Amino acid sequence: MKLYDFVLSANCYKVRLLLGFLGVSYDSEVIDFHPGKEHKGEAFRLINPLGHIPVLDDDGYVLRDAHAILVYLASRYDPGRSWYPVTDPERLGSVAQWMAFADATASTASATRLHVNLGYDFDVDERRAAAHELFRVADEHLWFGERTGNDWFVPGPLPTLADVAVFPDVVLAEEGGIDLMDYPSLVRWTGRVKQIPGFSVMPGVFPFERA
Amino acid sequence: MSDVDLRDEAPTGWFPVATEHDVIARVVFRGQLDGRELAVWRADDGFVNVWENRCLHRGVRLSIGCNDGNELVCRYHAWRYANRSAGCTYIPAHPADAPSRTITAQSYAAVERYGLIWTTTNGDEGSVPDIGTLSGPRLLLRSLPVNASPQTVREHLGSHRFLPAALLETGTAASADDAEVVADHGESWVTITADAAGESSTAVFFVQPVDPHRSMIRGVLADAPADEIPVLRHHAYELGRLVRKIEEAVEEPAERTPPRGFETPVILPANPWGHQRATLSMVVDRKAAVAADIALFELVPEDGSTPPTAQPGAHIDLHLRPGLVRQYSITNGPGETDRYRIAVKRDPHSRGGSAFLYEAIEEGDTIEVSPPHNGFPLRRNIPRTTLIAGGIGITPLIAMAQALDASGMTFDVHYFVAAPQQIAFRRRLATYTCEFHVGLTPAQTTDTLLDILGTPTPTRQVYACGPPPMLDALKAKARALNWPADAVHVEYFENTNEIATDSSFVIDLARSALTLEVPSGSTMLDVLRANDVPIVSSCELGACGSCAATVLGGDPLHQDVYLNDAERQGGQVVLTCVSRASGERLVLDL
Repeated sequence: MKLYDFVLSANCYKVRLLLGFLGVSYDSEVIDFHPGKEHKGEAFRLINPLGHIPVLDDDGYVLRDAHAILVYLASRYDPGRSWYPVTDPERLGSVAQWMAFADATASTASATRLHVNLGYDFDVDERRAAAHELFRVADEHLWFGERTGNDWFVPGPLPTLADVAVFPDVVLAEEGGIDLMDYPSLVRWTGRVKQIPGFSVMPGVFPFERA
Repeated sequence: MSDVDLRDEAPTGWFPVATEHDVIARVVFRGQLDGRELAVWRADDGFVNVWENRCLHRGVRLSIGCNDGNELVCRYHAWRYANRSAGCTYIPAHPADAPSRTITAQSYAAVERYGLIWTTTNGDEGSVPDIGTLSGPRLLLRSLPVNASPQTVREHLGSHRFLPAALLETGTAASADDAEVVADHGESWVTITADAAGESSTAVFFVQPVDPHRSMIRGVLADAPADEIPVLRHHAYELGRLVRKIEEAVEEPAERTPPRGFETPVILPANPWGHQRATLSMVVDRKAAVAADIALFELVPEDGSTPPTAQPGAHIDLHLRPGLVRQYSITNGPGETDRYRIAVKRDPHSRGGSAFLYEAIEEGDTIEVSPPHNGFPLRRNIPRTTLIAGGIGITPLIAMAQALDASGMTFDVHYFVAAPQQIAFRRRLATYTCEFHVGLTPAQTTDTLLDILGTPTPTRQVYACGPPPMLDALKAKARALNWPADAVHVEYFENTNEIATDSSFVIDLARSALTLEVPSGSTMLDVLRANDVPIVSSCELGACGSCAATVLGGDPLHQDVYLNDAERQGGQVVLTCVSRASGERLVLDL
């Protein structure tokens, strides 16, 4: 299995996270996203005409879009069906809802990080404000989860793709100048995600540490 | 935006900075009060610490560190800070050195009330508001951040509305706008009573000043509904409405003011501890027999404060009566920071201290105590540690065992006693790898020490404390087995060497630019004291290392039992209480 990958990409990190949780081994094909803009080059357009990473190549089956890749990997490599709970329509719907939420954090929180770290031209104040709106909603959701004994974005005993999809943009948000101080439930949830067996880090993400 | 910069009139008094949900086990919460970032964490003993959110070393936020239940460990270089006292207990990059007592994180008083953690950053004046309404059943509501000044938030809270809890539990078509509300403005809070459909609820909303343009609303309902969730949801929704209303009313989006703590210089207090000066009045909170002729004393500060931080290996001086000052190792484990635990053996050969303590001091008595000094610091950069105790020499080692255990490090304990009833700390030792060596002759003891030592490896270190003949034998055997001097650490309780005082010599004090004569019959320490040269001392027998001075010139004549062979041969340090010059002159870095 090959992942077209870039270490600093939050979207690639999602896929690497799930591969780690599922215990699936893979090879990283590093795309020089910055500064080479290799994902926008002619050669890469052959793999993804949209010019985005990540792209997964599983023995010839080529799939683009981080969330699509998450759905594919969970459906194929999670025999317990816990990450993508297809047998439970309500939980499945909730997973899709929070994955869509993660699309919104990608265009806000993640964009501020690209602005700060890689010099992308966004109206960063507007994106930060929009990210704060999203994080308020997520924090409230998780706060009520804590009151009712639910650790994860989608209620249930085990984490789902919703947690994988939302995690990178939240845990990296402070790189984009979005202070997480107002979202203690969200911060505590990142601590729980870090304790899922198979968790992997990336630059800017600390592992969970017990002294 | 308001022109008022609240920093010019910093809010005084007590404010909530976290909820009980935020300070859960093994988590560090990041809060902020009046621009000052705080690290808030609960230790396993239940104590809540509110500290300035920065490591004294490199300024990294302590809130990203690790709460191990007893200590907060900085994420960057793993400096460890103790529960309650906030003192640094260990610096991994300097494993051989005991951190100075002045390395103490800035801590603030903390009080838990109404499910909230309260603190004050302007001294300890005032107290947590006493709200009678909340003395009965209560429900902590979801706190909400607002991008508006505390003043603005308090004004708007006057128009806040919600439905009585009783209506929400049964389900109602009523809207919060139907409620009749009465708002009562306190200093930094607003009490709101809402009436609708014959029911009534009262809630108190405390306003935490985060910075001049940001606040946190922390609400507490004076009621304990059986079904909490609908009530919590209603309040979260209504308060969310209010927050949006406030933020729309604030003309410009709030600017996030950078945290203020970083501008404030850390002012380390001048060392207030002179030589042999007792600065703590401590009360014997508990006295208990822990083995034959061994009593455990638990000492707590008379004024209810947290005693200065003690590290494993540290001792305190007990001032029993004029001229009778004795050292006792602190046996506390990590996190036991509200008291000092010492174990005292009634020794028939006692110079008077232990017998006096054991027999005459009872619970409720007050003892003058010096802050801890650590001449026997535990290095935690060696994978395996062997702790060798002879009799009451277990005391510093039991503290070390607990610290090693808490850090998940490998260690074993060897405990030599004359008879089984002399074994102290039995229950604690039972959970460790511990071997008891009971009733051995001196020759058998030496053979056993030889077995325990074995071939030295770079991954193993030894700490030993016990009677001088046993430590002498251990050192001799370690030398014979080629153990490096810095891997075998011993602490003597007493110095049984014959101390010669008949020579006379001169000491040059390089820093003080003084030349002093040490006559026959006097010690360097006596002469330094007589000339008001500040120097710390403790046992004054050449056993504890407190009075060590750096030698810049001349050869010392060592008469102590504190320095190891390498230090002795290096000639760069001398204990001023017993040692002398071998020639006519010593130059000291004093």
